[in-house]
Parts: sequence; structure tokens; C-alpha cells
Amino acid sequence: MNQPVIIAENLRKEFGRVVALRGVSFQVEEGAFFTIFGRNGAGKSTLLSIISGMASATDGRIRVFGEDPGERTHRHRLSVISHESFLYDNLTALENLAFYGKLYQVENLNERMHAVLDQVGLHHRRFDLVHTFSRGMVQRLTIARAILHNPDLFLLDEPFTGLDQHATEMLIGLMDDLKSQGKTILLTTHDLQIGLRLSTSFMLLERQRVVETGTSDGLTAELLREKYFSLVKTSEAGQ
Amino acid sequence: MNVIWAIIRKDFQMEFRTKESITAMWIFSLLIFVIFNFTFEISRLLLLQISGGLLWVAFIFSGMLGLNRSFQVERENGNLRGLSLTPADPGLIYFGKFLSTTFFMLIFEALIFPLFIIFYDIQLSLVTLWIIPISILGTLGFTSLGTILSAVAIHTKQQQILLSLLLWPLITPIIIWAVKTTGDVLAGELSAAFQPVMVRMLVFDVIFTTISYLLFEYVVQE
Ligand SMILES: Nc1ncnc2c1ncn2[C@@H]1O[C@H](COP(=O)(O)OP(=O)(O)O)[C@@H](O)[C@H]1O
Ligand SMILES: [Mg+2]
Repeated sequence: MNQPVIIAENLRKEFGRVVALRGVSFQVEEGAFFTIFGRNGAGKSTLLSIISGMASATDGRIRVFGEDPGERTHRHRLSVISHESFLYDNLTALENLAFYGKLYQVENLNERMHAVLDQVGLHHRRFDLVHTFSRGMVQRLTIARAILHNPDLFLLDEPFTGLDQHATEMLIGLMDDLKSQGKTILLTTHDLQIGLRLSTSFMLLERQRVVETGTSDGLTAELLREKYFSLVKTSEAGQ
Repeated sequence: MNVIWAIIRKDFQMEFRTKESITAMWIFSLLIFVIFNFTFEISRLLLLQISGGLLWVAFIFSGMLGLNRSFQVERENGNLRGLSLTPADPGLIYFGKFLSTTFFMLIFEALIFPLFIIFYDIQLSLVTLWIIPISILGTLGFTSLGTILSAVAIHTKQQQILLSLLLWPLITPIIIWAVKTTGDVLAGELSAAFQPVMVRMLVFDVIFTTISYLLFEYVVQE
């Protein structure tokens, strides 16, 4: 039995009078590909920032690798990819990686940088400034930055936002790779199709609550969509 | 230590490449000097009395430009969030940003000071050398507060307005002290108040650097 990488119990988050999470509980096993579905405002991003330790819950309990993420002890084991690249436009690809590599204290940084640049197909552009890159290339460098320190847990917050078909496929390919390497992946998306294609288990957030959890086996996007809309209706009727 | 150097190095790499801050700062300071030198017909004596203030207007306003730029690059692609997701101690990240803006301002001040000397025809003597510790103390006071407040303001839409509103009242004492001691130096004669004022600046710097270091972790949290 694998030890759960993430344990969330009754998480609640308030921003003043706005409630972003209303008692959310779930677990993510090691090596799982866990997708969180939900509409805009459902609370997905808030949940990820609590898991990454960027925000603290108003109430409830969260453990990541057995520790409170606010303690920052496991920062080197996790990586966040969102629609923000965290890259510096006026640094070259290599300089960006060198910078983050130092902050993560990556060993054999030089070799590692070249390896990840190769992996995302940007090695020939390593001396070019990021602001000369296309959106797809920025995304690839973002991925290189995210895998540079070889983390065990990936938090991906709507990473497909603004990507074209090609970049989307590339990102999906990467996630498949990570999955087969046994990495634990947490993805948030409103795209049922892509989410189901990748995930081993999923959770549905609606109005800051968990309305459904399950494994993705045998589930099609159509089935999930039907289920989703009936749940949304119930939740709306209950308001 | 590695973290601090990584940040300083990165900031300087970017600045030397774009020269965005330094250009804006130069133009701004030149304007101030030119305006006060040629526009107003003021007596030489009066000019000497206000020149310390003029110099610090140039330093601080240029510093504002540099500071804004320094945090704008941490904001463009969510970089500050990226930094706080790394295992690096937030205090060290603060120190890196703080030192890079400080070094940057000091280099700029060293470049602009000779120009100021020429524009205002200041008599040089050994006393003039005191401008070095004064600039360092005054600049540290400005950047220690400026760095933490920029980090606070980074999450808000009206970043620059908020920054000025918070920063000005807090740095007023250190600017007054810096102008006062600079006035002594430019006049070529240190007054009795010189030393105690220098000590006050030092204390101010130590206090605000420490507070900022301790607060930075909470500032970058959401
Ligand atoms: N920093 C914040 N301040 C105030 N309200 C917030 C903040 N972040 C999120 N919220 C609110 O919390 C709810 C959940 O937001 P979020 O987690 O971003 O949802 P999602 O990522 O699923 O779209 C929304 O109603 C949103 O407006
Ligand atoms: Mg979101």
C-alpha cells in the first residue's frame, strides 16, 4: 500500500467574506495522476496554492509528504506549472534555468540543464532571450524549468490555458512521461476530455465543495459530462 | 549565500542587457540638474544651500525608478511566486533583491555625483569623501524599506501609487538626515550635528533591514 502523498481533511479557505473552499477532503496516492475538475471559481487554484504552501488554509488539515506544506521542508520535491511561466523575458533560456537551478540547489546543474533543454527540444535556442520565443517555446521552457530539479510531485493548474494544439499535445506527452516515471501528478482543468484521458483518479469540485470522486477506469468524457451536469443541477437547486 | 548571489547576478544580467533602469535614471537626474541650474536665477549661496537636497532628489527619484523596474520584472510572469515556491529562504530572497537594488543605486550615484560636482561647481576637499558613507547609509535606508514595500505592493493593481503612498512617509527621516549631512559635506565643513545624525542613519538602516528581513516571508504569502 502506497503512502498518500497528499492528505487533505476538511480544508476551508476564506478571503475576507469570500469562501474559496468549504470543507474539502481527499487523498492522493503516490504515483497517481489525480485530476481536479471544476468550473471557474470552484476553488481549484486555491486548493493548489494551499498544497504548494503558498497559502494557508483558514481551517482543516493538509499534509504533503507527511508535512505541513507551510513548513517549506518539501519544496524541492514539488513543482508548479500554471499559465504563468515564472521565466524572465530578458534572460536567455540557459540563464533562466541556471538561476532556478541555483535556487533549487540542483546537483550537476550544468549537465542537468543541457539534458532538460534537449528533452524539450530547445537546446539549439539556449542562448536566445525568452522574449524572442513563441508561446509554445515559452511553454516548453516552462516545462524544462519545472522538471529541472527532478521533483516527485507536480501541481498543474490549468496548464493548457492559451496553448495551441501542438503545445497541448507536447504537454500531454510530457505528463505521460512523468506518469510512467512514477511521479505523482495533480492537474486542474475544466476540460473533461483531456483530464480523463490522463488521469487515474479524479475529483469534481463544484461551488467550493467536492461533489464527486472516483477512479477514471471505464469512465468516458460523455459519462462524466452527464454526471457532472446532473450534479451541477443538484448543487444549483440546493442553493 | 548562493541565493543572494544568484538574484544579484540575475538582476545585473538583465539590467546590463536592457539598460532600461539606468537610462531612465540618467535622463531624470540630468533634467533635475539642468532645470535647477539654468531655469532659476538663484544666488550661488542659496544654490549651495539647496544643492544637497537636489542631489538627494536625484538619488531618491532615480531610486524609485530602479526599484519599480526591479520588481516589475518579478511580476511580469508571476516570477515572485516562482521564487517563493523554491526551497530558498524568503529572507535570503529579500536580501538578494535588497542588495541588487542597493548596488545598482550606489553605482548610479557614483556615476552621477561627478556630474553634479561639475554642474554646481562644488569645491572638492577631503571632507567631500564623506559623501561615500552618507550615500551608502541613505541608500540602504531607502532600499531596505523600498524592497519590502515593493513586495507588498506587487499583488495590488495600483502598484506604484501604493508604493509611493507607503514609502514616502517612512523614508522621510532618513532623507532629511541625508540631506543635512550632505549639506555639511558640500559646504566643506562638518557641523556639530554631523556625527549624531550619521549614527541615527545607521540605526535606522539596521532596524528597517531587520524588520524587512523578518517580514518578507509573510509578504510573499497569499
Ligand atoms: N485572493 C483572493 N481574494 C479573494 N477571493 C479569492 C481569491 N482567490 C480566489 N478567490 C475566490 O475564491 C473562489 C475560488 O477561486 P479559485 O480557487 O481561483 O477557483 P478556480 O481556480 O477553480 O477558478 C472564487 O470565488 C474566487 O473569486
Ligand atoms: Mg484557477
